[in-house]
Amino acid sequence: MLKEKENIGFKGGFNLLDTYPLRFCNIIERISSDGIPEVFEFRVPAQKIQHVIVNLCPTEPWALPNWVILEHKTAAFLNKLKEIKTRYFPEASYSIAINKKEDEPNAAVKNYAGDAEWMKVFAVDAKYPQDDPVILLKVVLGIETNFGQDTTTQGVLILDAQTVTAIYENCMLGNKVDSRFIALSGTGLKENEIINVQLGTSLEKILRNRIKESGKYRVFVNGPLHGREITDLSQKMEWSINNIVVLEELDQKVMFPMFKSDELVLTTNMLGELRRCVYCNFCDDICPVGLEPALYYHSYKRGEKHKASLYNLEKCIECGLCSFICPSKLELLHIIKECKAL
Amino acid sequence: MDMKNILKPLEPILSKSLDRVESFIHTHPKVDFLFGAIFGAFDGLLRSTKETTRTQPFIRNNYDVKRFMGAVLVALVIGWVLPALYFFGWQCVVSRLLVSFIIGVFVVDVLWAIIAREDHISEGGFVTCLLIPAILPPQSPLWLVGLGAALAILFRNVLGGVGNNLVNPALFSRLFLTICFPSLLVTGYQMPFVGMPDLHSFRYGLDAVTHATPLTAFKTNGEVVSYFSLLVGSSGGSLGETCRLALILSGLWLIKIRVVNWRIPVSYLGSVLIFSVFLSLIMGKAVAPPLFQILSGGLILGAFYMATDPITTTYNQAAKLIYGAGCGFITVLIRDFTGLPEGVMYSILLMNLLAIPIQSLMVKIRYRT
Repeated sequence: MLKEKENIGFKGGFNLLDTYPLRFCNIIERISSDGIPEVFEFRVPAQKIQHVIVNLCPTEPWALPNWVILEHKTAAFLNKLKEIKTRYFPEASYSIAINKKEDEPNAAVKNYAGDAEWMKVFAVDAKYPQDDPVILLKVVLGIETNFGQDTTTQGVLILDAQTVTAIYENCMLGNKVDSRFIALSGTGLKENEIINVQLGTSLEKILRNRIKESGKYRVFVNGPLHGREITDLSQKMEWSINNIVVLEELDQKVMFPMFKSDELVLTTNMLGELRRCVYCNFCDDICPVGLEPALYYHSYKRGEKHKASLYNLEKCIECGLCSFICPSKLELLHIIKECKAL
Repeated sequence: MDMKNILKPLEPILSKSLDRVESFIHTHPKVDFLFGAIFGAFDGLLRSTKETTRTQPFIRNNYDVKRFMGAVLVALVIGWVLPALYFFGWQCVVSRLLVSFIIGVFVVDVLWAIIAREDHISEGGFVTCLLIPAILPPQSPLWLVGLGAALAILFRNVLGGVGNNLVNPALFSRLFLTICFPSLLVTGYQMPFVGMPDLHSFRYGLDAVTHATPLTAFKTNGEVVSYFSLLVGSSGGSLGETCRLALILSGLWLIKIRVVNWRIPVSYLGSVLIFSVFLSLIMGKAVAPPLFQILSGGLILGAFYMATDPITTTYNQAAKLIYGAGCGFITVLIRDFTGLPEGVMYSILLMNLLAIPIQSLMVKIRYRT
């Protein structure tokens, strides 16, 4: 029980990286598709881009880690960025968001920024969901956006490390980019690893021989918190897929769950019974945008879904932390989505 | 994690036999009707649930309401049961606990679950039944404890169980007892035992019974008991409220693991301090001194365990501060300006009811609706 204290410590976000540390095998396997692979294409946004944010701060442990792309050569990466700048967005301001705790790229980026006046470096807390576009824009540029809005309409382009290198390869060197790195992890796999997949490969081919033989499993794309579940494994690999998480389906009762916090992480079990809201204030403490999710639950339970929009419902970024932390196991994110859909 | 290793060899055997009992109960409707609820609660304490996530997010934290309640139970055992065993003797404490649990949980709650066709009884009843003896005099008759537990659980279930409480059920039941049996609630204050315990004292405590708690003594003749004896628990009072030191320490532990929201105890105790300092500056010796107010009566027990009862407070965190301050204000008013020596129970019950308008007012202010 005492070990749990780090898990309970949260305020405006949740430090997933320290709570569920994942290690990836550093041998990168390449998987090719059987058909003709799709090709990455960079489309220059129609709007004038005033700010470019490069997100080097993945906050989910199952997301693709920085070292895969940067390969400990951060300066070379930033040189590529500079070339993209001169070619496409010469007038835009450049901001790099980087994890405070990652020492090596942090030092390298700051060292580089000393001579380069065109870019600014922001060392941010690696709390989930710091890298969400809405929060990133607020923290880095001080601009308010709505959840789900395309940031290019406000003149902001958000790039991750892999997209920067792909743009460089494709547009500067003229090479065809038809594959990308993804992170494979989860309790349903034999081993956490990073693979280089050609676009268009089916998920079934990626996961073949990697899933543990025994037991049921479920597949999630872009993380189990705000990603989606894949039931049809014949789906093709796309550029937007950053990671695949395969979780063990734990649909049986476990003895003494209170002593097994370290074993029970990353399973699909609810880990508790559905109860009523007990005003524990976990959800509004963890909410990264300062909402009170239980108010939506109360409106919903009274049958007044339309009243939920009175309580800043539109500010919700659907990160899923309120449902994740709720000790009564209320489906808060589901309720929020239903109220938003009205 | 020693506990885990000790329990490991037991796990497969226990799990298998629980599965067997479960399937037996579910295949026999009559057995299910009578014992399904109590088995459900027992099983729920030992094992997790079968359900898996169906909507986003697909992973959940390993922390549920059962552990919430379990932490409160542990804190209450450290906060009042262990000190009371020393100060009042085990015969007094254990008999009251047994009566409270048997009547409250195993009779009233189980009967209710059978009548109302609920799947299982709620573990919140254990917390309520652990609080009932704590807020009654040490030598109150056993039937009074049983009646208190029965009323508390009945009242809670009538309102819809845990999560629907209007007011704190334990305090409501004590209010009922105070109205029905006023004389029994002001007698039977056994003096706590102090010194090296021998066999006799360990069993019976001290053979001295007084009618005066420190607060009634102050009300009648202005006598102020030493603060040290109030803190460690060597002065008279209800069974569970005397050892303030243990209550404060276990309460701080609850705050640390976030079961108790710090805003309520801090604003409650803070407002008692502020109002009593203010009043004693104006009125001098006519009112109780501030530190005496903080350390006497059920204030510490109330501030850490009663006022914080999750569902009876407000949801909004700023409103929690107002709620706590209101509790403190009413407590001081009752203690200083009415014929009653103690006002914690009334203040918490009143603020439980006022929590609803405070909550909606704060929500209106915050969202400007």
